[in-house]
Amino acid sequence: MDHFDQVPRRKAEFIKPPNTLKQKVGEGGLSEEILNKAQKLLEENTIDFEPLADMYLDALTKGIERAKDFTPSSDVEYVIAQLLYPAMQLKANGGMFHYQLVTQVADKLIQFLEVIEVPDLSAIEIVLAYHTTIKAIVHGKIKGSGGEHGQALLKALEDACMRYFSKIPE
Amino acid sequence: MAYQFDRISVLIVEDNQAMLELLKSLLEAYGVGTVITAENGEDGFRLFCSRNPDLVIADWMMRPVDGISLTRRIRNDGKSPNQFVPIVLMTGFSEKRRVFQARDAGITEFLVKPFSARDLYRRLVQIIESPRKFVRSEDFFGPDRRRKRNVGYDGPHRREDDQKKLASGSIDPDDIILGSR
Repeated sequence: MDHFDQVPRRKAEFIKPPNTLKQKVGEGGLSEEILNKAQKLLEENTIDFEPLADMYLDALTKGIERAKDFTPSSDVEYVIAQLLYPAMQLKANGGMFHYQLVTQVADKLIQFLEVIEVPDLSAIEIVLAYHTTIKAIVHGKIKGSGGEHGQALLKALEDACMRYFSKIPE
Repeated sequence: MAYQFDRISVLIVEDNQAMLELLKSLLEAYGVGTVITAENGEDGFRLFCSRNPDLVIADWMMRPVDGISLTRRIRNDGKSPNQFVPIVLMTGFSEKRRVFQARDAGITEFLVKPFSARDLYRRLVQIIESPRKFVRSEDFFGPDRRRKRNVGYDGPHRREDDQKKLASGSIDPDDIILGSR
């Protein structure tokens, strides 16, 4: 008999499907040589990130414009999602195409967007600063982590976020 | 001996052409025999039904059908030729709630972009060597979502009973912490 205080357990069926992948590929894994070759292929890809980045930056600009029209009756989740999705794409793709600093900056932007409650004017200013920074990195062709200058940029953006949150009463 | 990836087919569903090409060449470098590609979840599902690949790698954000919806269709649609197919979902999101959202749709593995050749390989090894059981309940069908063992208690197991279970093999030795912490 269930305890009076306990949530009834749901009925669940467990199924063990055949491991067809294992049956096909067999044993042994891949050699270091193959993995190194695959990694080299990733690192040496010559795909131009700029057109892709511009597309996502444009989407972010549109998101910022929508956020500027935000009213208390707006769908806050939708408005933030219009900023979040292009930021996520910039984070995801930057590092795949040699722009690790774009990934780092966009990651900070995502962290900021994931926690703000409303896209108020101060928040939009911060998103704009991120947008400007990412655009400058891409158009300045600052590949890799951007060295000391890149990390200083990242720190400045992070500090701006901290200042934003310090102004919000708990 | 090495994995004979030439015997398998992989479906990549990704709307970013550059990313799709990169991933395709990565799989070919691993030696994958057949790589099928689609640019959104709608085409992806159609190709999945007609080609029945051994593995699906899908991006999350796509239009008109995203990777989450594609996963749900593969797992639950009557037309799906293999509801158990391993699905790797790729995304730039790494926040816990996003991972949970993807897990609850029935994905097998989550791959955060940007990733390295080894990151993808590790997901494939996990799928091949440690496949999870599937769960069918009232509101979920997909790989068992519980990954952590010994969730309720992570302290030492000093009871006589634990030692008996360990000796009989009914407790994984990794779950047993002997002595004080």
